[in-house]
Amino acid sequence: MKKGLFILIPLLLMGYLIVITLIPRPKPQMVDAGNKILYNQNLESNNRDQESKNQNVSSDHIKQSLNCKSCHACEYPTKEDPCLIECPRQDLALVFNTTKEGPEVVVIDEMSENYSGVVFSHKLHTHMSEMSAGCTDCHHYNTTGPVLKCSKCHENTRSREDVSVPDLKAAYHRQCMKCHVQWSRENGCNTQCHSRKSPDSDVKLQQLIKEVTNKTHPLRPEPTKMRWETNYEKGKIVTFFHDEHVQLFKLKCADCHSNDNCTKCHESKTSKDFGKTIQIKKSEEEHHKSCSSCHNINSCQKCHKESEMMPFNHGRSTGWNLKAYHSKLACTKCHGNTVPIKKLDNNCTSCHKNFTLGQFDHKITGLVLSEGHAEAECNSCHVNNNFAKNPECSSCHDKDKSYPADLPGKRGK
Amino acid sequence: MKNLNRRNFLKTAAAAGLAISALDSKTVKGADKTLSEDRIGMLIDTANCVGCRHCEWACRVAHNLPTNDLDTYSNTEVFKEYRRPDSHSLTVINEFENEKNPLLPIHVKTQCMHCERPACVSACIVGAFTKHPDGTVTWDTDKCIGCRYCMVACQFQIPTFDYDKAIDPQIRKCDLCFDRRKSGKVPACVDICPNEAIIYGKRSDLLKIAKDRIKRKPDVYIKHIYGEYEVGGTSVLYIAGKNFTELKMPPLGTNPAPGISESIQHGVFAYFVPPVTLYALLGLIMWITKRGKVDELKENNDIQEDEKGENS
Amino acid sequence: MNPAPIKHKFITPGVIILIVIALNGLVFLGLRFIYGLGAVTNLDNYTPWGLWIGVDVAAGVALAAGGFTSAALGHVIHREHYKAIVRPALLTAMLGYTFVAFAVFVDIGRFYYIWHPLIMWNGNSALFEVGICVMIYVSVLYIEFLPIVTERFIGKVKFPNLFKFINKPVDRLLRFLDKSLSKTMFIFIIAGVVLSTLHQSSLGTLMVIAGHKMHPLWQTPILPLLFLLSAVAVGFPMIIFESLLASFSFKMKPEIKILSGLGKMAAPLIGVYLAAKIGDLFIRESFKYIVIFDVPSWMFITEIAIMTRAFFMFLSKKTVNSPSRLFIASSLVIAGVLLNRINNFIIAYNPFNNPAMYYPSIGEISVTFGCIALLVIAYRAIVMIFPVISHEQT
Repeated sequence: MKKGLFILIPLLLMGYLIVITLIPRPKPQMVDAGNKILYNQNLESNNRDQESKNQNVSSDHIKQSLNCKSCHACEYPTKEDPCLIECPRQDLALVFNTTKEGPEVVVIDEMSENYSGVVFSHKLHTHMSEMSAGCTDCHHYNTTGPVLKCSKCHENTRSREDVSVPDLKAAYHRQCMKCHVQWSRENGCNTQCHSRKSPDSDVKLQQLIKEVTNKTHPLRPEPTKMRWETNYEKGKIVTFFHDEHVQLFKLKCADCHSNDNCTKCHESKTSKDFGKTIQIKKSEEEHHKSCSSCHNINSCQKCHKESEMMPFNHGRSTGWNLKAYHSKLACTKCHGNTVPIKKLDNNCTSCHKNFTLGQFDHKITGLVLSEGHAEAECNSCHVNNNFAKNPECSSCHDKDKSYPADLPGKRGK
Repeated sequence: MKNLNRRNFLKTAAAAGLAISALDSKTVKGADKTLSEDRIGMLIDTANCVGCRHCEWACRVAHNLPTNDLDTYSNTEVFKEYRRPDSHSLTVINEFENEKNPLLPIHVKTQCMHCERPACVSACIVGAFTKHPDGTVTWDTDKCIGCRYCMVACQFQIPTFDYDKAIDPQIRKCDLCFDRRKSGKVPACVDICPNEAIIYGKRSDLLKIAKDRIKRKPDVYIKHIYGEYEVGGTSVLYIAGKNFTELKMPPLGTNPAPGISESIQHGVFAYFVPPVTLYALLGLIMWITKRGKVDELKENNDIQEDEKGENS
Repeated sequence: MNPAPIKHKFITPGVIILIVIALNGLVFLGLRFIYGLGAVTNLDNYTPWGLWIGVDVAAGVALAAGGFTSAALGHVIHREHYKAIVRPALLTAMLGYTFVAFAVFVDIGRFYYIWHPLIMWNGNSALFEVGICVMIYVSVLYIEFLPIVTERFIGKVKFPNLFKFINKPVDRLLRFLDKSLSKTMFIFIIAGVVLSTLHQSSLGTLMVIAGHKMHPLWQTPILPLLFLLSAVAVGFPMIIFESLLASFSFKMKPEIKILSGLGKMAAPLIGVYLAAKIGDLFIRESFKYIVIFDVPSWMFITEIAIMTRAFFMFLSKKTVNSPSRLFIASSLVIAGVLLNRINNFIIAYNPFNNPAMYYPSIGEISVTFGCIALLVIAYRAIVMIFPVISHEQT
């Protein structure tokens, strides 16, 4: 009897172990009774969606010049748990097309229930967005490559698992509403974008498409110089050279105008003066911000002067005259991309690392050195490697030789 | 002896009262246990609301309340005066000035907050209010007697009453579209909102979203999720760019409204011990004094003697 | 000197005025039941409770406290010589609570569901407790009153011709009731006291849940204690008040010995209440709201001033021995407690964003006064039929 028990108990234990290891455990259900109906529906489709998304994006990943951390929150993202952070609107957008590349008119009628489709003049808006953040203003979170459809990320349903990203309907509306509500001071749906569905909706739609086609935004006159009279006592006049900022400093419109919208320039649509451009009243803080966001300003007199400022001139403004070679370069070539622009010393070697014997082909200066001179160290003529000054001959020659009367070689190209 | 007894009685009464008032407000067994981890809620992002008032229309349609055509809701004249939900509208939008951008006024939706520890559920005399495990607070028309104590109790002034009906007046408030959700739909206001300014989902998710938005756009939102801790937390959460008091949301502490009153109630009726004790005590006093009285009665004592006792 | 029905002319000019007031109230009452609460009252979604709850119910319950304080005095601790006032106090309580129940019936939106709390329970609700306690207490009061009925009618049941045959069974029933009640009455008496303590305090708990909507001068966790203490404090003055009023009305000599005895007890009770109230004021540091001098602060000052004045009046021997002074002092206490209930339920309750302060409509006032008038008429009628008031037989 006892023996039997000794055998039976281990056998039962083993059997039990085998059974529990073999039987697949059901995954813990994340759904609560109250919401079961709702969440369950999307659970499956959502998972499928997620997977397909991952596969598509992964091929693009290789081309990205992005930091992993700008998309993933955790150290080791996996396909199952990519731990994506919420879309960093500006950081990720990488579409830069010209206004001509996009479609002219887009009709948005994917979800129309009560309303007929929306006729969206893509061209007109690209014109306007030139004055704003550009393509990325709308096409945010777009990686390199083709412009993605909104529905790629924004699901076309309100009841979904991940509600941190707006659904398609909200995504569309938010794109339009922000500006249009400010502009028209109206939030009714019939007024600008939609009309309620009716038997003749389709006809109207075609008409609208016709109306909108070939519409352009009039070119904006670009100011060259702006001059403000301020009430600052020690210097009433502030001058701003718009052309310099665009041409000389190569700034894009969006670099300064990223937060602008229609109401920045126009009276709201309801006003009679809607066609005219307007003067904006800004607070002192806002006024200063438009300069101080780039310029490191620590004294008022830097901008506020008694008289109008002269345009920027590298020689006058910084004390370092740009000659033939340097004047052709972009600012960033020497100063780098950092804002505010860094002051550089006038030591050539701090930029030109190749100004050494053997490295430097003297020919490009327009002077071919004679054989004897070509073998001399740079600083034997250019004292202290200061190439800005005229070379001196006195270290080798007697006083009979001098530059530029006696050249160490031949002029030539 | 007899004076002592009367004083005793007063003392006991006072002591009982004090004991009641000294109760710890945290000892209450609330509805927390029955709440689901995945309970739902709504996050109202006032920065995304454009005040189209479509939610008002959808809500009325969903609850079979009389309504005009959807187009009439684009009328912004109604914003001129501050509105509250009433017996014909369970949710309303109000407009507030936006100092940061006068062209984009702030719109705030008002409806039941579906408190985690709802005062109405605690207060209702017949238990006509129910806090469901999924977070919803609903009202049962078959039980309600129309006493309007829920309206007194509600910290957000939400339940409304049909004052113009003599028969079958209703208490009305948002039920987060309890019936719609049964058939797998989202609440009507959430469904129609063009901007998804009302996000519907698990409360825990919504809190995360709200925190993330505040973190990412510190210039748009103030650092306050209204409803995260107010009166012990609510299912409906708000984020906004302006102090909530200025948006006419009551400034509330973190203590659940029914906390103190329930602890008093449970203190008085702790398994009926205090009432029964009081009953027994009074019975005892009655018995003792009666025994004393039998002798005293023979002596035909009168008020004078009592006065002596009183003054001593 | 035993209680006996009072023989007096029923209809006097005063009674006619009361009847007019009552009829006026009934008209508005009719309107309320036809067109709903909105037609008659100034109540809205901001102010769900108004005069009817504040005065008819809350103050009504408080002022009917004479019933349980006198029962405690007369029956529980057997102060036999106070028994003379137990019956009038019982009658006031009975009528008062009937009036309260009626006011509740009128005020609740679905009056036909008034029985719901009997079967649908919510133990967390202070209102539920008040409701149940009041329901039971009203029944207890009626049972307590039954011996007076039996005393009046045993051996005197005389139905006219047609109903002659029930005379005997009714008489037998009365005798049976009398017999069984005399043995079990102590149960009901103690129950009455316990129930009163419970719901008098719970009436205070009612407003605790309103939280920030209550003005901080009144919103305190010890509201139930304050309500109980004030109810106890107003009990004896209320008995003094009505006894004197009945004496004036029926032109009888006031029972000054008993009344001054009650008056002496009133002072310490009021003192305890005031001490608790003012102590609470300082513990919660809410006294800062007094010096704002807006409507609530003035109401609070008035409330405290009245009670303090009454307290000092009852302290002096001069007051206690003079019927007219006793009457004034008692009126002050009653006014103080009435004001306290009005303050708690109406003045203090001011929800966030409330655009306009509530004030009662003519309809509400009419119904309240109508009910009070009815109450007085009923009291007058009952003391003339039943042996309630003890007075020198002339």
